[in-house]
Amino acid sequence: MGVLRYVAKRIGLYLAVLFIGLTITFMLPRLMPINPVDGYIGQLQSRANGTLTSEAIAEMRTNLEQLYGLNGNVFTQYVSYLKRVVVDFDFGPSFTYYPQPVSAMILNALPWTLGLLLTATFIAWVLGNMVGLVAGYFHKKRAASILEFLGILLYPIPYYILAITLLLLLAYIFPVFPLSPTFPVGQMTPEKLGMIFYNSLLPGITLVLAGFGWNILSMKALAVATTEEPYVTYARLKGASNWTRMMRYVFRNALLPQVTALALSLGMVFNGALLTEMIFSYPGIGLIMRTAATGGDYNVLYGAITLSIIAVATAGLVIDLIYPLLDPRIRHK
Amino acid sequence: MARLGRSFVATLLLGSLMTTTAFAQGAMSDVGTPRSETLIVQTFDGRSANPTAQNPLNSYAIWRGFRELGWGYLWEMDTATGESYPEMADGFPEVLNEENTQFRIKIRPGITWSDGQPFTTDDIIYSLDTAFKYREQLTNVASVTVYLKSYKKIDDLTFEVETVNPSFDLTTRLGVYTWGTPFNWVPKHIFEPLGDEVVSFQNAPPVTLGPYKVKEFDPNGFWQLWELREDWEKSSWGNLGTPKPKYILYKDFGTEETRALAFVQNQYDIDSFMSPDSIDAAKARNPAIETFSATFPYHDMNDACSYGVYINQQRAPYDMEEVRWALALSLNLSQVGISAMSGQFKAAALPLPDTPITNSIFYEANLQALKDLTIGDGYKPFDAEFSNTLVESLKTQGIDPALLPTGEAIQEGFGAGWWKHDPAEAEKLLASVGIEKGADGFYAMPDGSPWVIEFVIPGDWNKVLQRLGFSIADSWRQAGFNVNARQVDNGEYTTVQNTNARNELQINWSNTCVYNSNWLGNWNQFRESNIKPADSNDPLSGNYARITDPEVLALVDEGSRLPLDDPKFVENGQKIAMEIAQDMQIINLMNIPTTIPTNSTYWTNYPKQDNFYAAPYTWWSSFKKTVVSIEPTGQQ
Repeated sequence: MGVLRYVAKRIGLYLAVLFIGLTITFMLPRLMPINPVDGYIGQLQSRANGTLTSEAIAEMRTNLEQLYGLNGNVFTQYVSYLKRVVVDFDFGPSFTYYPQPVSAMILNALPWTLGLLLTATFIAWVLGNMVGLVAGYFHKKRAASILEFLGILLYPIPYYILAITLLLLLAYIFPVFPLSPTFPVGQMTPEKLGMIFYNSLLPGITLVLAGFGWNILSMKALAVATTEEPYVTYARLKGASNWTRMMRYVFRNALLPQVTALALSLGMVFNGALLTEMIFSYPGIGLIMRTAATGGDYNVLYGAITLSIIAVATAGLVIDLIYPLLDPRIRHK
Repeated sequence: MARLGRSFVATLLLGSLMTTTAFAQGAMSDVGTPRSETLIVQTFDGRSANPTAQNPLNSYAIWRGFRELGWGYLWEMDTATGESYPEMADGFPEVLNEENTQFRIKIRPGITWSDGQPFTTDDIIYSLDTAFKYREQLTNVASVTVYLKSYKKIDDLTFEVETVNPSFDLTTRLGVYTWGTPFNWVPKHIFEPLGDEVVSFQNAPPVTLGPYKVKEFDPNGFWQLWELREDWEKSSWGNLGTPKPKYILYKDFGTEETRALAFVQNQYDIDSFMSPDSIDAAKARNPAIETFSATFPYHDMNDACSYGVYINQQRAPYDMEEVRWALALSLNLSQVGISAMSGQFKAAALPLPDTPITNSIFYEANLQALKDLTIGDGYKPFDAEFSNTLVESLKTQGIDPALLPTGEAIQEGFGAGWWKHDPAEAEKLLASVGIEKGADGFYAMPDGSPWVIEFVIPGDWNKVLQRLGFSIADSWRQAGFNVNARQVDNGEYTTVQNTNARNELQINWSNTCVYNSNWLGNWNQFRESNIKPADSNDPLSGNYARITDPEVLALVDEGSRLPLDDPKFVENGQKIAMEIAQDMQIINLMNIPTTIPTNSTYWTNYPKQDNFYAAPYTWWSSFKKTVVSIEPTGQQ
């Protein structure tokens, strides 16, 4: 009964977070000092070199307000938005790229973002935690200081600087990777998949290095503290080997905050990696969100932010649900 | 594990070989075409978020080659002379009535779509029918639905149209004015079977009219590859000359840093908007990289628009001519241009660019009037020696005199003149309307309350204007104006531009676009109907310069009823330019400087200052002139 109550409470909280998130998502773009209709007309004017007459602009404005669903009061728009998103999971057309459906834009971009960022985040997490664990457990040894130095060295480097440095080094001075990759199109073949993998390596390595440092430092701090715990001393006195103490006593106990951090960072992956996309010419959702934010493309913002909210909230829910499995203290509570 | 390691290394080697050999040896482009047959161009709009949207009846199928290579126009514009010429039309339109509302248009016989189907008036009539039928759902058809009253087919190669109002600019309304046209023709045989689905039809890949067809495009929006049609001579501009590249690749090479590096590595041939600093760095590493001009200013100054400070004259204190003039005379354009543009700019005092085409029409005609102009108590504000003084300043800044123009070339390079920098005269003008400096050293309103100028400028999305804006604000602050230079994203920029209640001063270009003697296309927005109350929150549909001067409005109205080749029409344009300048309704600054560096490793004979056969822009429809004029170098 206790477990059911625990699960029900967490799911209730999850749904409440989603509802509040969706409502805030609806309101936020409307607070921006941008009119999406003007943005669209501005683009057309620029392309037509002012030969769009005032009459044509006025006609377009009327039609676009209708097509964008911006007629009616805010409450009517809110109800229609909730119905569309919750019942149909449909975010409508993009304003900036009308009539392209938002779902198609996001579905096209998301696999690239997820493929690169999930993998890089996970690798950075595993490697960083392993290095941090060793550095923390053997913190009195010189080798541990070197590993910690690696973390301290990498962590504060701004991502942009790190990315440009690697790009310069590995794509220009030693041109192992392309400066501006061209991803193959059409029917996938093993060779094309190989090219996609190869083109993704440089941004992947950069993301791993960027995420690596924090994981080292964080895990090292946790491991140092845990190593001093009485139960670890007791295990040593009991004759447990270094490996056993490190993995079973220190690592397992230091892992919990790191799992939380991993789950939250996986959730944040849905926000895309705008800088990665821009610097490495990598496809993904970041640029779409940026264009939407600057152009007042409400529907794209709804789609991307809603996915992000669902991802972060779901990650939180999953952590809540698996915590009892990882930590007996919670289970027994 | 060892096998995994070997696979990883093999992938790395294969990938790096495919990349580096392709570029280092110049054998193949990275889309698998022979590099020596491929012209590679940096895209104008960067990466596209919806590359599958290729239906010109909706808005997006413009960039990445559509306008230049894909679509066809009844009349195109020769951007070297500013003259229109028939492209798919067989001659110019025949006027059928005295009111100039009815026209007969003939199509050049023998033009076919890229799938071999003939282009006929059925396509024209279908395109117009569709535009009218779905005018509330298609987003790129309003330009014809408000312009045309009726149309009809006469035969397969002849049709007639009737315009709503008398029209003397049909060739640029149904054809190209400067860089493009707002309406494109679509193939009836592809679109008609779709019925109502036409409003959401993506049209990818499209059937096109130009000599190139889409071979492949990246669904992620980074690149689009065009291939020359085998029957290109039957295309919309097959009569212009032989297109030289077999393939044209539009690609976004990423950030400025990666673009500069890729340019040095000869990965592409023409860039757009690379910063002068990056161009200098690239030139130093690769002698094949060239700027538009061999002498200062190095970059192209022939854009159809000019940058200016647009003033909301409907709001106090900017409704006073003295205040507007004080702002102009306090702006040290020479200093602004040197600090923000490294001196690479061409000043333009009238509200339009000063180009080889517009100079003789507008600038020469008004030069004496500018010199004779007096304001206030007889002060002459025009500085005809502006360019000469600028050149001397540049010399003192350390620019090699051998790189600077001399004689007449000085004014050709830096403009016919600008306003004097005279903060003392500005102070006198302001004092005459009760505006004086307060204890804080800044000018205060006549009632003594603080005066903070809200000056809206673009953020990172237009770095040239951003730099220019900050520099102007600095110049004004030095003269005693308290300026809040607020940088905004492009969405908010447009909203501020369109909304009276939110607009005070804005750096802008949208109402200072005149490419030739036809000023009507842009200045036709200066109409009574485009003026809203000063505190209005309703969006404007034009006249973002907020011209309210009755004399200008009358000249525009009269001009709209005159033939474009009527001397009176041209005269009205000259008067409008002078009237706006003498009342300082817009502080026009300079021609839009555009950096178009080229790489002559694979192709030569690009348009340059001393070889100006067309505007050098790869995103204007006139790029077709470049495509038929460039020559391969033979580099493999």
